[in-house]
Amino acid sequence: MTTDEVAGESSRGRRLGGHVVLGVLSLACVFPIYWLYATSLRAPQDVYSLSVLPWPLSTASYTEAFAKNDVLGMLFNTGVIAVLSALGQLLVALLAAYAFAAWRFPLQRLLYLMFVGTWLVPFQATMLPNYVLLSRLGLLETLAGVIIPTLCSALGVLLLREHLNGFPKELLDAARMDGRSSWSTLWTVVVPALRPALAALGILLAISAWNEYFWPAMVLQRSNAVVQLGLRSFMGTEGNDWGPLMATAGLACLPVFVLYLVLQRHIVNAFVRSGLK
Amino acid sequence: MKRTLLAACAATLLLATSACGLGTESTGSQASVSRVPELKPDQKVSIVFESYNFGQAGAWTDTFNELIAAFEKEHPNISVTAQKPQGNSANPATDTISSLQSQLTAGSPPDVVQLGFSDLDFTVNQLKALPLDDLVGKDTVQANFDGEEYPYADSARTLGDWKGKTYGVPFVFSTPMLYYNKQLFTQAGLDPEHPPATWAEVRDAAKAIKDMTGKDGAYVDCLTKAAKDWCFQALVRSAGGRVISEDRSKLTFADPPSVEVVRTMQDMVRTGVMPNRTQMQAVESFARGDLGMILESSAIQGTFLKGAGDKWELGAAAMPSFEGRQAIPTNSGAALFVFSQDQAKQRAAWELIEFLTSERAYTTIATKIGYLPLRTGLVNDPDGLEKWADENPYLEPNLKQLEHLEPWVSMPGASYLQIRDGMMQAVENAVYQGANPADSLRSAQEEASALLPGGGK
Repeated sequence: MTTDEVAGESSRGRRLGGHVVLGVLSLACVFPIYWLYATSLRAPQDVYSLSVLPWPLSTASYTEAFAKNDVLGMLFNTGVIAVLSALGQLLVALLAAYAFAAWRFPLQRLLYLMFVGTWLVPFQATMLPNYVLLSRLGLLETLAGVIIPTLCSALGVLLLREHLNGFPKELLDAARMDGRSSWSTLWTVVVPALRPALAALGILLAISAWNEYFWPAMVLQRSNAVVQLGLRSFMGTEGNDWGPLMATAGLACLPVFVLYLVLQRHIVNAFVRSGLK
Repeated sequence: MKRTLLAACAATLLLATSACGLGTESTGSQASVSRVPELKPDQKVSIVFESYNFGQAGAWTDTFNELIAAFEKEHPNISVTAQKPQGNSANPATDTISSLQSQLTAGSPPDVVQLGFSDLDFTVNQLKALPLDDLVGKDTVQANFDGEEYPYADSARTLGDWKGKTYGVPFVFSTPMLYYNKQLFTQAGLDPEHPPATWAEVRDAAKAIKDMTGKDGAYVDCLTKAAKDWCFQALVRSAGGRVISEDRSKLTFADPPSVEVVRTMQDMVRTGVMPNRTQMQAVESFARGDLGMILESSAIQGTFLKGAGDKWELGAAAMPSFEGRQAIPTNSGAALFVFSQDQAKQRAAWELIEFLTSERAYTTIATKIGYLPLRTGLVNDPDGLEKWADENPYLEPNLKQLEHLEPWVSMPGASYLQIRDGMMQAVENAVYQGANPADSLRSAQEEASALLPGGGK
């Protein structure tokens, strides 16, 4: 046996080992999601069964979930929150990042660091003041109350400013020479060039707004307007109603799955960018 | 650079914290309690009813909405807003007190509130629920208990009383029952028609099930912090002890009867006949048919029936006793209290309570949700619940237990939950983690005694 063959074999062995580790890890990640859908598809009397394959299949849990809760309404409301919150954050972040990157003005550094600083203040510290303010504005128990305090995201400003810093200043100067106003430069020059970054950030923000539980639970204290809160209504003193609970949870995951399948490349991009920059 | 960063951080922090001061407001003052006049026929009143039942979709919410609609139809001058407690817990029943507290602080409490018996002391002495005897008169309160035809069970009517006055009208409750799997009994050579009546028999039957079928024997859902203390109190009372002295001045859960209860249960875990499981695991394992017996609240019966389906048959028996003693079950459940600050609302609140605890309402609640009717005579009424009772073979042992029922005693003072949790943690440590029962209970009792009003002295 030559040294080359030995080296080849050991590298193949290592690669195989790597695949085994990856396979086991991905199984560990996927299994709970599989179990969620498996439980939602079991017949009501089999809900506590531990068999890996749900058989006979039944959609009774879905029917029950729709009968007991306004599932479509909840999904719609959650969608509205996710889309408006993501769009709002994008707009604010875009305007702020544009200002920071395209102009020099007094206290610029301080203001920028303040934006970054808000990222360091934990949500738990700001939630009470936010809550009290919403209460005084009469926005508790409304979807607007859930959306408005999320509209400015330090993450968005940070990411877009980094992107804009890499944007060629010559293009901005050329646009100015053409006689374009700064507003029209933003929309006709900057935004088209930033489209991939905006898409990636938008998806990231929409997914996290869709999955948010705690803040909606504080603002919408008594309603089940969003799906993550609606799940609670299948839990109670008399035991948990696992079938419809899993069915609703399964439906809540679907839009994120679909978004992921359609925009897979952008999403991976989004996570990589936000992780690396 | 460093200075700029520091300044930025300070400015941000200032922004973030400056609004915190807005959150503090003073506690609302208690309205004086005098007899409230009847409502005039054209007097419009709107009240708020807060109940954790509205937090659970399906039969619970639907039945209560139906009852409220019927009430509003009968009382066109009263409109009722029904709401669940505010809060972030998965189980809305755990948010009841904090929700009420925050609304009292804001000065606008709900008018009628459904609260657990475990919170009775706190509800009366700290949250200042209104004494119904003063509000509408003792005669009226007692007349409501007597009902039109079917009175409350004797053991149920005083559960919401404090020092001789009625503050809460008991509304729903359940008792601890021994549920068992008839199939596993047969497979283990036991007689499914003669379930165990004492804890020694439970242990023997559990051992037989474990040995013969390989499935778990028995689980007692009264021994963990998550289970709270309602049926632990039942076990201790059945062994001749109490968790707190009758004058409520001293904790007594480290006395010999409690130690004996904990030791008996610990032995079952040690010998492998009781699985070392959490409450939820045990309930689901029983529903799946993998556990022989479970001592559980009758409120969970629906879950068991759903799990059993046509795969195994559910049996139910009264709570087992300790050799030579009478078993004394305690009740879990909730009563209706009034917190209105306005006289018209107080009267309307009482009208709602009368309606919700009427014969008619109990018939609806029992048939649609399955709760035990507190007007027990209804089960013999052909126009009431007779048919429902005939179809529900699990009802009889439950109703029979009411004869010996004793109240679930709430712990005193503002730290009542810490006292309860400390006691149950000690029980859990002994039963499931093998701590010495006497030592564990004694040290928990010493710690908890300092939390009693007046430091337990």
